[in-house]
Parts: sequence; structure tokens; C-alpha cells
Amino acid sequence: MASKFSGALQLTDLDDFITPSQECIKPVKIEKKPTKTGAIKIGIDGSYLELGQDGSEYKLEKAKITLNDCLACSGCITSAESVLITQQSQDELYRILEENKNLDTQQGSADKKKTVVVSVCPQSRASLAAKYKIGIVEAAQRINGFFKRLGVDLVFDTSFSREFSLIESGKEFIRRYKARDTQKSAIPMLASACPGWICYAEKTHGSYILPYISTTKSPQQIMGSLVKDYLAKRHGKTPDQIYHVTVMPCYDKKLEASRQDFYNDVYRTRDVDCVISTGEVDKMLDVEGISLVDVEPCKEPCDSLFSPQSNELYGHPGGGSGGYLEHVYKYAAQELFGTHIGHLSYKTLRNQDFKEVTLEVDGKEELKFALAYGFRNIQNIVQKIKRGKCQYHFVEIMACPSGCLNGGGQLRPDDGESSKELLQRVDELYNSLETRTPFQSNDIHQLYEDWLGGSDTEKAQHMLHTQYHEVEKMTSALNLKW
Amino acid sequence: MTEAMLNLVCTLQGHLDRAWNVAWNPTGTLLASCGGDKAVRIWGKEGDKWVCKTVLQDGHQRTIRSVAWSPCGNFLASCSFDATVCIWDKRQGDFECMATLEGHENEVKRVAWSASGHLMATCSRDKSVWIWEFDDDEEFECASVLSAHSQDVKFVTWHPHKDILASASYDDTIKFFKEEEDDWTCFDTLDSHDSTVWSLSFDKTGERLVSCSDDKTVKFWQEYLPDNPQGVATSGSDPKWKCVCTLSGYHSRTIYDVCWCHQTGLVATACGDDAIRVFQEEPNSDKHQPSFNLAVTVNKAHSQDVNSISWNPKIPALLASCSDDGDVKIWQWEQKS
Amino acid sequence: MPILENVNPEIHQKASAREITHAEEDDDVVDEIDGREIFDLIRNINDPEHPLSLEELNVVENSRVHVDNAQNRVMVDFTPTIPHCSMATLIGLSIRVKLLRSLPNRFKVDVRITPGTHASEEAVNKQLADKERVAAALENSHLLEVVNQCLSSNKTSSE
Repeated sequence: MASKFSGALQLTDLDDFITPSQECIKPVKIEKKPTKTGAIKIGIDGSYLELGQDGSEYKLEKAKITLNDCLACSGCITSAESVLITQQSQDELYRILEENKNLDTQQGSADKKKTVVVSVCPQSRASLAAKYKIGIVEAAQRINGFFKRLGVDLVFDTSFSREFSLIESGKEFIRRYKARDTQKSAIPMLASACPGWICYAEKTHGSYILPYISTTKSPQQIMGSLVKDYLAKRHGKTPDQIYHVTVMPCYDKKLEASRQDFYNDVYRTRDVDCVISTGEVDKMLDVEGISLVDVEPCKEPCDSLFSPQSNELYGHPGGGSGGYLEHVYKYAAQELFGTHIGHLSYKTLRNQDFKEVTLEVDGKEELKFALAYGFRNIQNIVQKIKRGKCQYHFVEIMACPSGCLNGGGQLRPDDGESSKELLQRVDELYNSLETRTPFQSNDIHQLYEDWLGGSDTEKAQHMLHTQYHEVEKMTSALNLKW
Repeated sequence: MTEAMLNLVCTLQGHLDRAWNVAWNPTGTLLASCGGDKAVRIWGKEGDKWVCKTVLQDGHQRTIRSVAWSPCGNFLASCSFDATVCIWDKRQGDFECMATLEGHENEVKRVAWSASGHLMATCSRDKSVWIWEFDDDEEFECASVLSAHSQDVKFVTWHPHKDILASASYDDTIKFFKEEEDDWTCFDTLDSHDSTVWSLSFDKTGERLVSCSDDKTVKFWQEYLPDNPQGVATSGSDPKWKCVCTLSGYHSRTIYDVCWCHQTGLVATACGDDAIRVFQEEPNSDKHQPSFNLAVTVNKAHSQDVNSISWNPKIPALLASCSDDGDVKIWQWEQKS
Repeated sequence: MPILENVNPEIHQKASAREITHAEEDDDVVDEIDGREIFDLIRNINDPEHPLSLEELNVVENSRVHVDNAQNRVMVDFTPTIPHCSMATLIGLSIRVKLLRSLPNRFKVDVRITPGTHASEEAVNKQLADKERVAAALENSHLLEVVNQCLSSNKTSSE
């Protein structure tokens, strides 16, 4: 089975390289019932049957590994992927929608219905637009229409939550830059939006690298906070009464959503309940037997989380991976050196996925930022940091070569088109929207006040920032692979 | 019929554990060996005698699996089960560890320099092949991480004069890589071995390759360019490698190493049956259907498995070997008419 | 507490002590290593999961040990208790390590799964036959500890 996770994740296989379809090494907890005999028979369907003394057969339950088990385990990540992917898939969304429909028909049960929210990221939208050869706004309207048709209540755009992510990254950078002489791990600040990179760093580089990673949550997880906290309260719902789905360009996002940090113990719910990839949305269209171009479009490209004016589509400058470098660079140049930056001129280094940009003030290099996409470039950055030789102040790191537009969950080219050509079209579509800088929007300022009580409050910290955890290497030798 | 012999020149003792690998420097004056004792030994001639010139210790925490000299002879790379590669600099006379390359997840099995000396390849049980660039600042940077193999990668070697890399794996295949646009890609997969491929060796032209395997065979491969007169199908502008000869029935256990002599054309094998064998191509053999004859078998060349074998690059038909018994041996091939 | 895969395995009778022949007592006769001697080396290896020996579990049997003194070969087939036993490689590794430590270097040791008794027979055999993988495994302190536990002789001193 070809792995669907990013290249970086595939390499985090710490101690196991034994068989190609590696079995999961995670010890499974099973409710143990006392048994008289130990005879186990394999049924015709491949299930395991335990034989009782009286000849009765008892079907043994298959052990299940959750995404959380995987995140906490230093073993492989790819092996149990079939399990992982079914746990967070379109089937789960269908199940919830089905349950809602059933509750509709039962009298007095309507209040048990869940509000189903889908947050679509701009990269997925661009990929679908490219496949169906339609414009980005039309794609958004039809995607909106498709989910509404299935019974989804609200469809949001994660560009909105990305504003928070960009603003917080900028502020965090200023803080760290100023503390760089006293705090060893303040600089370089490494971007945190890519879950494949985070997972790799936690599993293989632990304490060396984690302190350098920005604590700002990714757009997906800030959307999770917005939906499960802000929206829930506005609708008078508890977080568990909302089912929140995101549509994302990569499978690693499923791992991110499953992190313990984003689990609400009180309501036993996650900020993002389910992540479906762009490809899985396309599969849903297949299942429904409809092409995106035939879906009745909604008038609006998406719903508004805040004010009715904020449902227009827009982008952020700085490329298909979110524009972290560009925003932080411009913001820092302005805040720290009073320099307004219009256009960034990148210098391509070793390859197209490794570029840098430098701000000189009075002949002195004051800001040096880099983009490093793909595993090989991540390696060089990580090794340089370890050796104390990294000259950058900020690095936008993404696990996938070419960044998020080329994520593992994006649609593959049809016959006759090369991956490169498709990527180019997706890139053009992605960049076809008007861009704006995060601080332009009044909605965001208003939300900082209304929702978070200001910009540097404890609540803002809690809703917009997270933390990382070193994964201890597995030492249980019974499961060690050699 | 000519009579061939492999005469033992000397036995070099010093390794405290199994010796895994031997490698000659480019001028053929120094021999490096390494093994389970976590040490590299450098052997050289003093007068008529081969002696241990120096021992490199403290570079690695675990077994040193293999060593490789840079084409300029100034640097020696060693790779280890400890997942790292050390680069030793001998320009100041003594060998000094100038860099430790990290990145592989576990055992690094082989390290190899390209002919230009600007590229280095490593491979590991983590299934990946890494290509490193050695730049003018003498810094090593990762140029590519190739995950083409589905299993443990046992061996990597460069084409004798082009930037083409070949790798061999526990997944029973051999793969070829080249640089394309911005990154490295696999352009050919050779899958006629039935078990782990342990080692590879190009002939001096780089148009032929020999491989050896746990399946107890040695295979010879020929490169076919697009539009070749033999009509071998190729894809795009890439060459296709085809197996043109298989030697089976000669070896009774796993063949751990094979080396093609660039001066004499002789092919030597190191085998788990303790023997060293030398194969000689028949005169006027057709390269598209070559014949190789077993010229010499040295049974009990070592008292245990022979792990590595290497022809001296300058002194014709001088062969070095090493074994699980910890010994390094030097042999001279001789042929009487 | 780890979960046992095979909770109640069948337990088998142990073989009696080997009878010492006259020839063996005679120092003038060259002692050839025979199958029974090899079996005696491995029969008391502990199962990684059960407090039982490989002999008691029928994982190793005298009849599945073959020695060829002329060719310096030792071949041991072992039979995992269940076809999906995930401990098979570890058991095989323990047998291999025991023999590597006990036998003269001249012997080539092959440890394999009894044909047809394990779902991943080929993969396990290939791994056990790869001396590089075995060598690397034995440098892993966690793994070595488990192997040493399997080989520890606290229960076998009476033999």
C-alpha cells in the first residue's frame, strides 16, 4: 500500500523496517476476560473465533488502534494508516448526517441533532477547481452547494482563521526576535502550520528542535477554536453539539486534529472532529453520482462566521502554503525597522523548494528568512540548527515538496497532464483571488475583542496557541523491530 | 589452458571483532578496514611489509559497516550502525574527524563518493538513499532523500565517471538514480535476483555492472542506450540495464561482495562459504552474451565468512579481503601460461 | 502486563537427559558434535512470553536439528506455537544467538521456521539469515536484554 502521508512522516519510522507492509507495533489494550481454553480458530472470513469448552464459538474482537495511540507511539506511523484513514473519513461524516436525518423523523429528538460545520481550506478548493476546470469562486459556490445538499449546516473558509494564525505568528516573531540574546531557542522561529513537519520533529528531534517551533496554531486548529468556542456560544450550543469537519490538502492534517492538545475533556469532543482530504471530497461526489460542475451552486462561496460582509473569498500573499514567511517578514520589517516592504525578492538556493530573502538595514543583514519545503530541505535546516549554524531568523517549513498545494490529499492529474502542469494550474487558481494583509479586516479586530477579550489575553493564548511534546523512543523490546 | 593462482601476500591482524569492509585509497598505497570493534584501521607499506599505520577510534558508537575514500584521497568517510557518517580529513597528516553527518534513522550500511568528489551517497536500513553535496566550504548538505526501495538498502555505488548512482537492497532489487531538474529520480529497477542484493561493482567503462546476492548467484548487467542496435526496449532518453549473464552453482552460501578490477577485468567474489573466487571473462566473449569462467577458488581463504573484497586501483591484480574472523588479507593474482 | 497471544499453549513432555556413550568418555576418540548436543543447547531457552522452555512448548524438537560435521553446518527448524506468533523472529534470534555463542566458529548456522508453520515464514527466515541485521540487532541494548533473558539459565541448572 502506497503511503498517503507526507514524505517526512514516512521517514519517522524509528525502529522498524522489517517488512514492507509493516505491522503496527503498538501494544493493544484489550479487555481480558478469563477463559477456560485457549483454543482459537480462524473463521472462513478471516476472523478469529475463540472456542469454548462446550464447543461454542465466540468471535474475538479486532484490536483497534486510534490515531492518538499512533501519535503517542514512537514506532511507525505509516503501518496503521488504513486504520487511521477510516477513522477520519467521509464515512464518518456520512454517518453523522444520517443520524441527524433519523433524529429529524423522530418526534422530540430534533434538539439532539448536531450542527454540522464544514471548513474548507483554499488549497483544496483550488485543487477541485483545477480538476473541474472552473474558477475559484464558482468552485467555492458549488462546494458550498454540495455540502448543503448533503445536510451540512454551515460551510466556512479557513482563510478566515488563517488571519489569526498569521497575526499571531507575526507577533510571536517580534517577541522572540527581541528575546534572541537572552533566550537561546527564540531564533530561528520555525513555522508550525504543517502537521507532517511537527510530527516528524516530535518523533525524531524532540528537545533539540521543538523549542524553536512557533506555538501558533495552524489555520485548521484555530478554525476548530472558533467553531467549538465562539460559534458554539453564539448558537447556544455546547462544543459536542457541533460536528466540525475540515477539508484539507493533506492526510497529516488528520493526525493534527487528533492531537490530545485539541481534545476537550469536559465535553469529550475535538476542535476538529473529522478531516477529509480533497481527494475524499471528490470521492463523495463520485458516490453521489454528480460532477462538481453539475452541483447547484449556492449564491455565496461560503458562510460567514462573524458578520454578513465577511463571506467574500480572498487570499493572502506569499504562496500556496499560507504565506507565513511573507507576512512575518513584512510585519517584522515594519515593526522592528520601520521599513515598508512591497515585494519580496527571493533568492533560490539549492533547489526550487529552498529560497531565502534578506532585509539589509544600513548594510547590515537584519532579517534573514527562508522557505524550506520537502524532507531534504528540512534536513539541512534541522542539522544546521543542531550544530548552531542556522543563520535564519524565520523558516517556513513544509513537509511536502512544493508546499501545501502539492499535498498528499490533493487530486492527482488526469490522463495526459503531468503533475507539474496540474500543480501550475492549481497555483494559478489559488493566486487568482484578491489578497489582503491580515490586519486589514475589521472583523478580526472585532473578534479579538468580542471573543478573546483583547489580543494578549490568557484566552487568546489558549485559543490561538498550542504546545509540542517530545515522543519518547520506544524501548519495549518485545515489540522492537530489527 | 592457463593456470591461475591467488597467492597470499600477508595477513593483517588487529581488528578485535568481525571485519566488515576493506577499501583502497585512489593511489593504492593505503588500505582502510573497519568492523565490529568500532574502529577503522589504516594499513600501508613500510619497506616490504604491510603494517597498521593508524587506528581511528571514537568516531562511532557502534559497528562501522563500511569506509570509502574520496577520489582526491584526502578524505575518508566511515558509516556506522550508529546511524551516522564520519568524514575524516587527512590533509594535515593525521586523520581528523571534520564532520559527522546525521539524518538516517538507523544503521547506515554503505557510503560512496562520486567520481567528481562533490557528491556522496549513503544508504540505510531506514530504506532510504541519501545524496549529499560536498560544497566548496567543505560543508555537507543533503541534496536528496530517495525512498525508492521498499526495504533495507544494503549498498550504493557511483558510476565510474558519471553522476549516476546504483543501489542494492534487501527488497531484492537494484535501482539506478540520476539527477533530473531539481531532484534525483530512479530511472531503472533491476529485479532478477531472488533474494537480498548485497553488492554491486561497475566495470571501468561504467557500461557494465556486476551484482551478487543472497540467492547465491552473480549477475552481469549491460547498459542499453535508446535506439540500441540490439533492439532492447528503453524508455525516453534513459538507458535500460539488462541481465546478460548469471553465474550460479559456484557459491554455496550468501555472496557478500563482488569487485570488478578496472585494470585486469577480473571479477572477485567474497562469500559466506569462507571462499574467495575469481572469474575471468572468456577472450572474445560477446558483451551482450558474455561468458565468465571460474579461474580460481581459494577455499578457506578465511576461517569464517568473507565479507568484503577489493582490487587495488593501481597495482594490477592485488586483492584485499576481510572476514568475520577479524583478519584482513592481501592476495596477489598470478597467471602462468 | 503484556497480553499473551496464545494464552494457554499446549505443554509437552521434556526429553530425558542424554546418555553418555563410551566413545564420548574416551578422550582418544574425536568428539563430533551431534544433533542431540545442539538440541541440548537450545531446549532450555525460555519463551519470551511464557515461563516455559522452547522444548516444553515444542518450539524446538530434537528431530528438527541437523548437523553436518563434514560441511560444518548446523540447521535448526523451530515451530512457533501459533501461525501468527509475533515473537517468532525473537525466538529465532535467541536460538541463533545461543548457537553463535556456544558453537565453534567453523560452523555455519541456519535457523529457520519449520516449513508451513508460520504466516510470515519467508520474511522471518530471511531476516534471521541476514547476519548484518542480526549483528545490528545485538547492538541494540533493549533487544539484547530480552534475548539474554530468554537465554538465562536460572531454570536450567538442574539439567
